[in-house]
Amino acid sequence: MAESHNSLSGDRFLAYATLTPSAFVLFLLAGVPTVTVFLTSMQDIGMGETSGPFIGLDNFIWALSDPTFYSALWHTFVWVFGSVSIEMVLGLGLALLLNRTFVFRGAARAIILAPYLVPTVVAVMTWRYMFHDIVGIINAVLIDVGIIDGPLLWLSSQSLAMFSVIMVGVWKFFPFAVIALLGILQSIPQEQYEAARIDGASPFQQFMRITLPYVMPVFLLTALLRTIWSFHKFEIIYLMTGGGPLDSTTTLPILVYLKAFSDFEFGRAAAVAILTFGILCILLGGYFILIKRAEARQ
Amino acid sequence: MARVEIKDIGKVFADHTAVSNINLTVEDGEFLVLLGPSGCGKSTLLRMIAGLELPTYGDVFIGERKATRLQPKERNIAMVFQNYALYPHLTVYENIAFPLRVRSVEKKLIDEKVRSAAELVGLTRMLNRKPRQMSGGERQRTALARSLVRDPDVFLLDEPLSNLDAKLRHSAREELRQFQDRIGVTSIYVTHDQVEAMGLGDRIVVMHAGTVRQVGTPEEVYLYPADTFVATFMGSPPMNLVSVGNVTLGFRPETFLPETNFQTDIATTRISFLVHRVEYLGGDQLLYGTVGGTLPETAAIARIPSSVHYSPTVGTEAKFAVANVDLRYFDSGSGKALIPTDEEGIMARRAAHG
Repeated sequence: MAESHNSLSGDRFLAYATLTPSAFVLFLLAGVPTVTVFLTSMQDIGMGETSGPFIGLDNFIWALSDPTFYSALWHTFVWVFGSVSIEMVLGLGLALLLNRTFVFRGAARAIILAPYLVPTVVAVMTWRYMFHDIVGIINAVLIDVGIIDGPLLWLSSQSLAMFSVIMVGVWKFFPFAVIALLGILQSIPQEQYEAARIDGASPFQQFMRITLPYVMPVFLLTALLRTIWSFHKFEIIYLMTGGGPLDSTTTLPILVYLKAFSDFEFGRAAAVAILTFGILCILLGGYFILIKRAEARQ
Repeated sequence: MARVEIKDIGKVFADHTAVSNINLTVEDGEFLVLLGPSGCGKSTLLRMIAGLELPTYGDVFIGERKATRLQPKERNIAMVFQNYALYPHLTVYENIAFPLRVRSVEKKLIDEKVRSAAELVGLTRMLNRKPRQMSGGERQRTALARSLVRDPDVFLLDEPLSNLDAKLRHSAREELRQFQDRIGVTSIYVTHDQVEAMGLGDRIVVMHAGTVRQVGTPEEVYLYPADTFVATFMGSPPMNLVSVGNVTLGFRPETFLPETNFQTDIATTRISFLVHRVEYLGGDQLLYGTVGGTLPETAAIARIPSSVHYSPTVGTEAKFAVANVDLRYFDSGSGKALIPTDEEGIMARRAAHG
């Protein structure tokens, strides 16, 4: 008995001993920066400094009372809601199409995944070129077809910039929704549809009463996951517009970047980052509740 | 209620022929079983009657109507699937109500019909459950209730008992047959299980490789198999076949008994039997061995009921016999029965041996 107890604690010691190096690296890479951000958010740090006077919650008070924070928050919601809702509807439509049998279905499935695999920088540079008001293909085609009279300022007008950025985001990430939804569509037993056909259900009724209920849990989970990822998406927007024109595409992550590396107000940047983190935590909570519910349904 | 007629029907898929030239009539109120090994085309035939599969040629008539090209929902048929195909997100009540809801039947009428259907299969107390909270037998009954809730003309059942364990399958079979007797609806039932087929069917259709080998009552199919395929497919253990030149001799294991067991006034054929192995099964014992003597050496099985006292000796040749009335003859080339299997033929043979 005593022996087995000894060997158990020996095993434990070995386990902890071998885990320690990775735990240490993890702490260095994730723990230290997180703590640093929290500390930074309560200091007044200027250009070229690593620390400054401790000013309590002043940075948070600034953020919560300054219109730039609320405007960034609003832009974030427009960006997230705009891109995720279009991605999901488009994704469901394409998944339904790809779930049908047709020639070249395999090829079509592969091609649809392509945007997801293109490096973001390459994709954004290509899109910027296409969106260009003078030499871009989008204006050229729209003018040739006769939909618009003169070139539109896709990226440099306040009214169109967010729309353009959302379009690029949708193009880049809708394949994710397609994969997730196609997976669940393929798991629906064919017998269900056959039974429904015999019972007299029309194709629309089959969609509403079989397909949608089956797909819904995965649809919601995917939508929430995409919401979380879009919420802190940085590179697409920054590379497209840099947050402009006139802050019209400045979302919270862009605001953090601009505050830190353009205005060199590290304390305020950290405060905005922590507020963003708080909102993300709420979304994550929702995600885990949905997962729990989906598991309970199994 | 309706009569179902299948006229010269066939189904050819890209790479193989599933069903070829089948003619069949299912009488009004009859319980017909399509029996055969997997891949024999029985399910494809059922799916063509349901309208889930379009025949390559031939026609289906349901009642007086030509139904070959009708949509499944226009045929007024009901189908029970092997996996029941219940809707997992709906309660039992909603599952049963589904066919009525999609036809926008009045709410009060739906409630009435669902409750009476549930009562018929004994599910009244489970109406609020979801399929995953129920046992296999209860799911099967839910599927039955869903299919009968709109008074179909024809009931199609595709191996509905094969997902149940052996014990449950037995009681479910009993229930199913009682249920069919009560509502008297024309039923077509697909199975690969010959015991199920014998127990349930008014008539059995034995299928093999896309064609019908024999149609008959369980007794006819068992006692007078139309060919060697039916002879060996029906019965467990199967009929013994001994090939003697152009003719193949057939006799069922339970008719193959020690010679001393026959009364002297019965015409028998003597066969010597070398026993290799004995299997004791309680109700009877199975003797595995080879027949010989004047016959070419061939493996055979004898099934001796426990009421016959016989202690076999392994490794010694014993004198066995079969009553001549129980002998069957097949053409060795085509495998077809040489004695007519129709009623007249049966009567004629009885007279000859009588």
